[in-house]
Amino acid sequence: MSTPRLVEHFFRHEYSRLVATLSRRVGVQHLEAVEDAVQSALMTALESWTVAGLPDNPSAWLFQVAHNDLVGELRQRTRRRRILDENGADQMGAPETGPEPLLAGEVQDDLLRMLFVCCDEAIPPESQLVLALKTLCGFDVREIALRLFSSEANVYKRLERARNRLREVPPTIDELTAMQYAARLPAVHQILYLLFTEGYLSSHAEAAIRQELSDEAIRLASILAEHPAGKVPETSALLALMHLHAARITARQDASGGLILLADQDRALWDQKKIQVGLTWLADSARGEVFSRYHAEAGIAAEHCLAPSFEATRWEKVVECYALLEQIAPSALHKLNRAVAVAEWQGPAAGLAVLEGFEPPSWLAGSYQWAAVLADLHRRCGHDHAARRYRDVAVKSAPTQAVRVLLQRRLQVAEFERR
Amino acid sequence: MPKYLCMQRNLRTADGPQGQKPSPAQMQEMYAQFGAWQAKFKKNLVDMGGKLGQGKLVTSQPAADGPFVEVKELVGGYMIVSAESLDEAIEVARGCPGLVGPGSGVEVIEIHTP
Repeated sequence: MSTPRLVEHFFRHEYSRLVATLSRRVGVQHLEAVEDAVQSALMTALESWTVAGLPDNPSAWLFQVAHNDLVGELRQRTRRRRILDENGADQMGAPETGPEPLLAGEVQDDLLRMLFVCCDEAIPPESQLVLALKTLCGFDVREIALRLFSSEANVYKRLERARNRLREVPPTIDELTAMQYAARLPAVHQILYLLFTEGYLSSHAEAAIRQELSDEAIRLASILAEHPAGKVPETSALLALMHLHAARITARQDASGGLILLADQDRALWDQKKIQVGLTWLADSARGEVFSRYHAEAGIAAEHCLAPSFEATRWEKVVECYALLEQIAPSALHKLNRAVAVAEWQGPAAGLAVLEGFEPPSWLAGSYQWAAVLADLHRRCGHDHAARRYRDVAVKSAPTQAVRVLLQRRLQVAEFERR
Repeated sequence: MPKYLCMQRNLRTADGPQGQKPSPAQMQEMYAQFGAWQAKFKKNLVDMGGKLGQGKLVTSQPAADGPFVEVKELVGGYMIVSAESLDEAIEVARGCPGLVGPGSGVEVIEIHTP
């Protein structure tokens, strides 16, 4: 006898489906009881399936076990409460009947609803993210801490803040209204964007586990795009941006995990299928009048994906997109990126001119990105003294060894060439 | 081939690490490891047994919940493996994911059959 293989991430994704479905059925204020029931159902499954083999429908099996466990637990609580308070009304949402069979499409709806529940405006964004990672991606506190480079205690605190808020949500207004869906949509986009960039843009080492975050973001955004509440151009732009970035993910690292500059990347490694999907979403995002920051960022990513080589990149288009991005979402980082693009388009002096007289906020001024860009632009302009000064800052503030190596290579090789 | 009874023992230490619950991703990993272990020792695994639940000691005396309370606490489950020797049986049991580790051990006992 041997155990049949399960699809990748089966346990994690079952966790998220079950939590979403059950918490809709009994009310999100019982989220913790729901999560406990799901966790224990998965443990039961692990024990049972390894001995007896897989049931015909593992998802239905899990749902049944988790549902029974949850109903039992909630009934017991109700009973306990009745003993304490003779007149207490039965507020527990435990269904009296057995589980109704899951309808096709219902699970997707439940996941989506959970996503909007996470984006409650009374929950701070960093807690929203942690709650989404816990309930919708099925990561536990340890795994979230590892992925967000935070401490377990910190993750736990953020999670508690979110749970406390959800406990307050009265059962009667638990059903989200169409207006709430609309009002929370920007927060939902933001959280998916954050989830994606945590996995993609971060320069931290463990690439594989981080890529999972990007994959999860794409999974959830795809569900959002299918749903009436999320079928808007911004969602399409977000998906375009995600696919176009994800297409280049494997080319960003060499065999030993070192980072590779865009100019040096082997474009043959880019995933053409993902690029096509991204471009389809980008075309889809163009319907309607909306031009969001996601449109601008997807546009930039598309320019890079479509360029046959670094030199042949249409830098003027990239610059244009960054300028639009700066208008929609003013950020010093976007200005810095525009300066880089301008330098490629019109030369390093033009790039420096973009930053002329600009005082970066402290978070950027102390970062390696700021220092590295200035070091590079000054070097290419022949300002050796300034170049060296910024280079030292950049190397010193590099967050990881991979980035440090990259910076040293880039800035050193260049200096060598000049001699 | 001789058969061996393997009993999982909960080794509770006074302040040992209260085993953290595995995450869904870890469960997936455990499931895969279990599958690999089953494939590797296919010929040894006679009866995968199961978890032990409630029990009652039956004697000629009317007394009797006696030792069962402790057994329930101590023995999580059992399985039967066949092996050429005690050492081989130990090897099979040791390879079983999650069976031997902090807080859990396995007792391997030869079953004498006439």
